[in-house]
Amino acid sequence: MQGRKPADRRVRVERPHAPYFRYMGPGQLVAKPAANRALTPSGRLVNRIRAAVFGRPLSTEEEIGERLTKTKALAIFSSDAISSSAYATEEILRVLLLAGASALFLSLWVSIAITILLAVVSLSYRQVCRAYPNGGGAYIVARTNLAPIFGLIAAAALLIDYVMTVAVSTAAAIAQIQSVVPQAYDVRIEIAFISITLITIANLRGLRESGNIFAVPTYLFVGLALAIVGIGLFHIVGGTVVPVTTADAVPFPNHFEPIGILLLLKAFAGGSVALTGVEAIANGVPAFKPPEAKNAANTMTAMAILLGILFVGLTLVAVQYGLRPTEAGGPSIVALAAQAAFGGGSPLFVAFAASTALILFLAANTSFNAFPRLAAILAEDGYMPRQFSFRGDRLAYSWGIVLLAAIAFGLLWAFGGDTHALIPLYSVGVFVCFTLSQIGMVRHWRRERDSGWRWRMAVNATGAVLTAVVLLVVVSEKFFNGAYLVVILVPTLVAMMVFINRQYSRSASELAVAPDMVVRPPHREERVVVPIPGLTRAVVQAINVGRSVSEDIRAVYISDDPEAAAKLRAEFERQIPGVPLVVVESPYRTLVGPLLAYLDVLDAAWPPDKPDPITFVVIPEYVARSWWERILYNQSAKRLRTALLGRPHTVVVAVPYRREDTALFEAAVGGERSAERAAKDPPD
Amino acid sequence: MSDAHTPIFQRAVVALNGGPSDARIIRLIADEARHSKAEVIAVHVVEIDWTLPLDADIAGRSEEVQRVLDIAESVAEDYKVRLDPVLLQARDVGAAIVDEATERGADLLVVGLPFRKRFGGEFAIGRTIPYILQNAPCAVWVVRDPMTEEST
Repeated sequence: MQGRKPADRRVRVERPHAPYFRYMGPGQLVAKPAANRALTPSGRLVNRIRAAVFGRPLSTEEEIGERLTKTKALAIFSSDAISSSAYATEEILRVLLLAGASALFLSLWVSIAITILLAVVSLSYRQVCRAYPNGGGAYIVARTNLAPIFGLIAAAALLIDYVMTVAVSTAAAIAQIQSVVPQAYDVRIEIAFISITLITIANLRGLRESGNIFAVPTYLFVGLALAIVGIGLFHIVGGTVVPVTTADAVPFPNHFEPIGILLLLKAFAGGSVALTGVEAIANGVPAFKPPEAKNAANTMTAMAILLGILFVGLTLVAVQYGLRPTEAGGPSIVALAAQAAFGGGSPLFVAFAASTALILFLAANTSFNAFPRLAAILAEDGYMPRQFSFRGDRLAYSWGIVLLAAIAFGLLWAFGGDTHALIPLYSVGVFVCFTLSQIGMVRHWRRERDSGWRWRMAVNATGAVLTAVVLLVVVSEKFFNGAYLVVILVPTLVAMMVFINRQYSRSASELAVAPDMVVRPPHREERVVVPIPGLTRAVVQAINVGRSVSEDIRAVYISDDPEAAAKLRAEFERQIPGVPLVVVESPYRTLVGPLLAYLDVLDAAWPPDKPDPITFVVIPEYVARSWWERILYNQSAKRLRTALLGRPHTVVVAVPYRREDTALFEAAVGGERSAERAAKDPPD
Repeated sequence: MSDAHTPIFQRAVVALNGGPSDARIIRLIADEARHSKAEVIAVHVVEIDWTLPLDADIAGRSEEVQRVLDIAESVAEDYKVRLDPVLLQARDVGAAIVDEATERGADLLVVGLPFRKRFGGEFAIGRTIPYILQNAPCAVWVVRDPMTEEST
């Protein structure tokens, strides 16, 4: 380009890398979105569909923007815990009912006791958030402070529990819909599939978006439930409570159980389902905006306070209004409380019923955030396949999300949408984790001895004792109802994780390069074998590649037709001089066997005093343009590649020939042909 | 008194020299351009001495030269601003920058100035900045690097 003065010329320099890469340091390139662009029309179409369903791919740098604020995190990580306030009171009442009407007032004290346990557990997990800001919760605490095996037990129990949460909460939400629309029973599997698919897609779209989607129903439920508690309290304080009589209430038994410690412990264990999901925040600390640990700890406190108020408040309302659990298909305790507060059939009542169904669906969402994160941490530690630690286009742990959805839906499908049989399993895993993490934290404080370690240790020790007691009660109560499955499933999962870890450790030690090793250039000899199906441009290209690897090269033609072989030999020797052709006759018409045998013969013929050579098997391939062409071509090449995979001292090289390579091919070999033609047809 | 909503510039050419001030200048301009939706052109000129042809394959091959514009592009991207990177080879850096700004119709030209002293302690402004200040048709901002221990 010419400047203003004659000497001021300048040249614009092309930057061919610029659309695809960016140099960010010496020898360091960073790929741009164009580098990931699909090259084929079908690939581009798939990418467009993916972008429409899941959103545009996010770069790793955008991860910070995907982090959650405390408000969104509360909705995402606490929907499971908060939703349990919808049924925890009922679980207590169903147990105390066995001791008659006079025992029902004890439900308030049981709920207060559980809330104290909730306070201890959440206080303990606040400490876990601060002590282990990389997430992992009970797994990391138990692995670091007790032993790896305890970490794995906690992880296995949690993974099982998260799957249960999705299956059970989806089934519970469908049951809630059924109580309003009985016809929903016939399509419950379809509803389960749609709801799980929608939650899966929302989670695959990334944290921030799923936070946007799920925050509204969660806060709607919380707001309306708080309103029920507020209205109930107003009537209780004002002495204007009108007791509710339920038509289809569960009748009191003929023979009352005595009110004793056993019954109270049973009620306590039943109501402890309120604590499920409390640990999810500690698992997902890195998902919070900075300062991650502080924000996670504060969210934990907010969640515990909200859950405590809702749980005790709803129980108080239930006791004061004389609410009793109903027979199957009847309204739930929270529905009765909403009826008492808002009036049956009022818009607020309908809104609360809808939000209860939604929050039960969304309880599954907590698992969709916690399960993939835990699986990713386990994968990073080598206890699960590495794919689980990879983030997808939207920075979500796609493998974990999809696996969770698949198993949960599989369970729902297998149990016909009725997961009551799974409920005994539910909450056992959580208390295993609570107990292990609290014991782990006791050891943590004993070892670290930070400021205030004594009272922190006291909190964790109290929590450990309380959660261990609840665990024993839950297991003893539910063991024969199905909790025994945990005793089978947890060790099975632990064994599987240990197996995977050993496998990875073994391969890592096999692949390790010693730090003091200095790698010198190879000194082994190389030879090339090119299996050919005839004389084609693809074969010529493969042979030329082979020639660039080693001078010790031979083409091998395996045939059951001696005449065809003789004809090929004549052509080959004339057109590709200098490369020996070995014809292997195969009377049984097989290809792979004779080639492998030929390679074995070559190995056997190698001088024993010399180190084994590297054999490059160069396979010519014709590149298919479309899916149907892939069926037509390269089937033998595929079989050869599979057969040669893992053969010692053997490297398989696939040399693709594209139709677009014609010009390249002409340029490579055209010179000689032109010379021949020139000799035949000399210019005038 | 100027209107607070009037953009300071609509098309800025930012001359980069590969020094520490590059990122600072890009941040300054990108922050303004983000609000005003102004166009930002980053120019890096490699000076070719007279012993070589002007179109000698120098800048295209140099990873270090490419990095100057790539890093600038990355900084601008952090501000959600698209930056048009231009790599030039010229005999005289100042003339190439002024010509590029003129040809592009820029209303602002931004250049960085390292803080250097000549032997004897006098501040050295070099010859590029004075040329730009004398010849640029648009407004020119000069952003001087802060003094460092070495430069003082």
